[in-house]
Amino acid sequence: MSAVWHPPADLVRRYATGGLDPVQVMSVEAHIARCPRCRAAVPYEEEWLGAAWERIEDVVDRPRPGPGTRLLVRAGVPEHTARLLTATPSLTRAWLVAVTAVLAFAVVAARVTAGDPDVLLAFLVVAPVLPVAGIALAYGRPVDPAYELHAATPMAGTRLFLLRAVAVLSVAFALTGAATLLLPGPLGLSAAWLLPALTLGLALLALSGRLPPLLAGSLLAAGWFAVVLVCDGTLHDRFLPFHPASQPLYGGAVLALLVLIRLRHRRLILGERR
Amino acid sequence: MNATVEIHALTKRFGRTTVLDHAGLRIGPGVTGLLGPNGAGKTTLLRCLATTLAPDGGRITALGLDPARREQRTALRRRLGYLPQDPGFYPHFTVFELLDYVAILKELTDRARRHRQVRRVLEEVELTDRARAKVRTLSGGMRQRLALAQALLADPELLVLDEPTVGLDPEQRMRFRALVSRLGEDRTVLLSTHQTEDVAALCDHVVVMAGGGVVFDGTPRGLAEVAAGKVWICDEPPAGAVLRWRTAEGRHRVVGERPAGAVPAEPAIEDGYLLLLGARAKAVA
Repeated sequence: MSAVWHPPADLVRRYATGGLDPVQVMSVEAHIARCPRCRAAVPYEEEWLGAAWERIEDVVDRPRPGPGTRLLVRAGVPEHTARLLTATPSLTRAWLVAVTAVLAFAVVAARVTAGDPDVLLAFLVVAPVLPVAGIALAYGRPVDPAYELHAATPMAGTRLFLLRAVAVLSVAFALTGAATLLLPGPLGLSAAWLLPALTLGLALLALSGRLPPLLAGSLLAAGWFAVVLVCDGTLHDRFLPFHPASQPLYGGAVLALLVLIRLRHRRLILGERR
Repeated sequence: MNATVEIHALTKRFGRTTVLDHAGLRIGPGVTGLLGPNGAGKTTLLRCLATTLAPDGGRITALGLDPARREQRTALRRRLGYLPQDPGFYPHFTVFELLDYVAILKELTDRARRHRQVRRVLEEVELTDRARAKVRTLSGGMRQRLALAQALLADPELLVLDEPTVGLDPEQRMRFRALVSRLGEDRTVLLSTHQTEDVAALCDHVVVMAGGGVVFDGTPRGLAEVAAGKVWICDEPPAGAVLRWRTAEGRHRVVGERPAGAVPAEPAIEDGYLLLLGARAKAVA
């Protein structure tokens, strides 16, 4: 009959407290890996073990964040905020593809036609509407399939709306800005969409305290197109909304809207409970 | 009763239709069932209580908070779990991602604590093995369990469940009852349902709504007693009963006036419920 060796209690205790040399550690570990009795005898801190298991579970279970979330986290955005931002409904692949396609088409058309003023005008007219459309499609019952699910959470309302608006504005401005750099012709004119876009985007935020975002966005887009048509049809200057002389007006409007939004920042989503 | 929810003269109109007409009730800890036919105003009342819809008139106090005031509404949302009647999902999310997302919306910003909560609720609704599945691949019953799971995140003190047993098979319904019964031991649960069996099995308090108002507020036993002395068993189908149907034994159960030759029967919750709805009930063969 062969006697089975079990490490003495003192050896197990020293193993658990880290008091053994590496060779002894390997020897004890090799034994307790196949001996349930000795394994059970290793003293452990229940809380520590539970936390350790939880950390392991978390690494195994947690979903791999998407590229947008990873990018934002690398840029210093807190992980939970990054997850909220990338879940914005209008930042879907379809919206991003549509915006990129529109801008790419404008750039290609402008280059093929060697800076045709009509093509540039079309770009300048459409560019400010893209962020408005994105914000309008970012929040609200008609555009968000999970609206009812999150409308009863503490983040619902102004906080979530502003987060999503920032996400959409950032992406829309980045894409449109990149397209601007690729357009032929003077950069000053190509970038003349910037302040109108900012004005319209902020006007949408301010109006959302009175109207649902989708309706507010539609009205603003319609108003913007009407202004362009009036400038062309009545004032006979198609580029009037983009003249350098017009830019201070947008600048003033942007400042006024920022003040208004600051004052009304707690009531930006009137329609949230309608 | 120590009320955790008080609703007083609640009114809501959609266009010209009055959906809630001065509805009022008081709910204490435990499980309360909200019964009523389609269009009775149950969902509208629950949405007002869950703070996703603003009433046109009346007052709600839940957990001592007034959702009409913005700060108190946010405070109430921190202590509330809501399962809507038609919970929409982002279909491209996995089950874990969706719950993680809702947990963030419930201000669980610490990732370890959040994921612990997600795993706990997945276990509660027995969806752990589907954690990595895309929401679009789930069956109707699984989606319903996912909707329930998100309502349980952050340990809410008040649970508002709008038709939570829709789409669940009998076994899942039993498990759901066990879960809700356990939850009702230390918090307030208000659930709407069409199933009188759910009320009988789960609820210590029942409210019946019809036409935008509350027509009964009491115990399940009290609801059954509404039909005391008005439930009969007879061999021939009588004319003029509020409701009658043929039983498995080939006899006729009648709710209403006593038909000739009928013997009295023990009233059940659904008898009281059907009698309360009175004119709305139709004779079924």
